Amino acid sequence: MNLMENVKMALASIWSNKMRSFLTMLGIIIGISSVIAVVSLGQGGQHTITGEFEKIGANTVLITVDSSKAELSDYITLEDVKQLKEKVPYIRYATPVFQVQGQANSRLKSKRAYIIGGTSDLYQVDNIELAYGRFYNDAEYEEGKPVAIISNSAAKSLFKMEDVVGMTLDIGSDFAKKSFTVIGVVKNQIEMFSDMTNEDNLPAIIYMPATTLKQLFGMYGATTQVYIVADSKENIESAGNLAVKLLENRHGNRGREIYKAEPLMKQLDQINNVLGIFTTFVAAVAAISLLVGGVGVMNIMLVSVTERTREIGIRKAIGARTGHILFQFLTESVIISCIGGILGLIFGIAGAYGLGSIAGISPYISPGTVIIAILFSSAVGIFFGIYPARKAARLDPIEALRYE
Amino acid sequence: MIRIENVTKVYRNGEIQLTALKGVSLHVKPGEFVAVMGPSGCGKSTLMNLLGCLDSITSGKYILNGKDVSTLSGNELAYIRNKEIGFVFQSFNLLPRMTILENVELPMVYAGVPARERRARALEALARVDLSERIKHRPSEISGGQRQRVAIARAIVNKPSVILADEPTGNLDTKVTVEIMRIIQQLNDEGVTVLMVTHEPDVANYAKRIVRMKDGCIIDDYPVQNRTVL
Ligand SMILES: Nc1ncnc2c1ncn2[C@@H]1O[C@H](COP(=O)(O)OP(=O)(O)OP(=O)(O)O)[C@@H](O)[C@H]1O
Ligand SMILES: [Mg+2]
Repeated sequence: MNLMENVKMALASIWSNKMRSFLTMLGIIIGISSVIAVVSLGQGGQHTITGEFEKIGANTVLITVDSSKAELSDYITLEDVKQLKEKVPYIRYATPVFQVQGQANSRLKSKRAYIIGGTSDLYQVDNIELAYGRFYNDAEYEEGKPVAIISNSAAKSLFKMEDVVGMTLDIGSDFAKKSFTVIGVVKNQIEMFSDMTNEDNLPAIIYMPATTLKQLFGMYGATTQVYIVADSKENIESAGNLAVKLLENRHGNRGREIYKAEPLMKQLDQINNVLGIFTTFVAAVAAISLLVGGVGVMNIMLVSVTERTREIGIRKAIGARTGHILFQFLTESVIISCIGGILGLIFGIAGAYGLGSIAGISPYISPGTVIIAILFSSAVGIFFGIYPARKAARLDPIEALRYE
Repeated sequence: MIRIENVTKVYRNGEIQLTALKGVSLHVKPGEFVAVMGPSGCGKSTLMNLLGCLDSITSGKYILNGKDVSTLSGNELAYIRNKEIGFVFQSFNLLPRMTILENVELPMVYAGVPARERRARALEALARVDLSERIKHRPSEISGGQRQRVAIARAIVNKPSVILADEPTGNLDTKVTVEIMRIIQQLNDEGVTVLMVTHEPDVANYAKRIVRMKDGCIIDDYPVQNRTVL
């Protein structure tokens, strides 16, 4: 008696009791589908976040000033940033990020502006993509040249055209304005927005050298946040530590723990950890429903054994051995669980995409998840099927034949 | 072939004990056709179940084809039921969810016969009981006589040496009874040993030998005079 024979027999018996078989599977379906949905959404979230982080830069370290302890003299100056890049061997890029709200006027139009200032390294650190022109260079940074890179939507709104390289633009606050030359246009990162929203309503995003920004707004020119990028993954830690050391030396504040270096990837690990624990927890709760489903399978298999006592008697009378009967019922419970598992997998994936589109997470379905789901549902079928199957196999042939 | 010596069978239901067979001895030679008769409750079915290795004897000895059956395990008995014995029951005992063909194939499934050979042998067995149509139907879709013929086909498909039939015509009318008896006589003519329980003297008259029981004992055992031959 081979496996195919058994599977055929089991399918026939499952098919002859369609409704009941489906209801039996329901527990497994609900269990597997909720586990799949939770896990693939969780993993999808992790992937999305990881992707975002990798775009910003896997080797990026954020140096921060603890503003609860720091005095004004502890803040990081533009000269500090320059020294960081020159003196610390592992640092490839370094830039502060200043963010200021201001105004931008073209001959046609006036607009709210969101101005970002950094070194020329901001181009790499922020992973900026240009549609036209170029980013400002070191010389322009050093000299504090009035050059600006503006967002694509700002170009359209301010000049009614896209390639505005070479145009002039007044940028500043209500009190002080200065004439800038546009040297670059940033590719629109989110295309969807510019189509859907009127670009006139979006603030203009403008990049300029931090030196220029400092002059323009008459700022002190010190910051609490500097991004550095290490030259390799291995040197992330050292670059951060050396940067902190150098800053402490320059400001003479060693021991006060003013500066902190935090690799962005480490933050990512933390987020992923939390997300992982959360996913595991919710999946575990969902897995309990799988156990309940398993108990349902056992229950129905016990009913089925009782109902089919006479059939078992007949089979034994014509020569079925203990193993034949055991295997027959076990196959049936495994197939019920497996079909439940496969349906659960389908519903789970569909559910993950459905929920994901609402929550804005694209689910990630790993082959591992799929394999584990199938194996797990088979295991449930074996575990909860073994007792009813043994009960069937051990029936006394003559007692079973007499059963009405 | 079949030899039982001083066999007893005691049923125990908690406190209550019932001795259904009180020391029965019987010897059946190959090719015999024995009808077992006796009043209701005298132990005929009990005897058949013991001979068919469906139930175990309480004491005594049972030798089937030279083998002492009383010492065998459950799975060894299943093997004997599969290979050496064909059962025909009063209530047919076909599996309702399987087709007729599948029912006849089932003993060969347990014997490990490959699918193609199974099909051929099942068709052959069905042909021998004159049933070549409706074989893709379920048992509930054919008549009682046809069902019993299916049961006979299933009983002979593994070419057993013995057929045990417990009131095979008990649920059938006279006309159909004759058909069934013709088939059983044919099988016997081909060399199969037959033991058959019946209440009706007319049916017993198809056999070659009659064993009479009463109260768990054999009280008479004689060859049939003026046997009905079909
Ligand atoms: N499983 C059992 N448990 C207890 N007693 C039983 C069992 N099977 C049969 N008996 C008893 O054993 C005796 C013999 O029963 P058996 O079925 O062999 O009779 P029978 O000759 O076949 O009767 P009938 O002609 O009505 O079929 C009866 O008294 C019956 O009640
Ligand atoms: Mg009886």
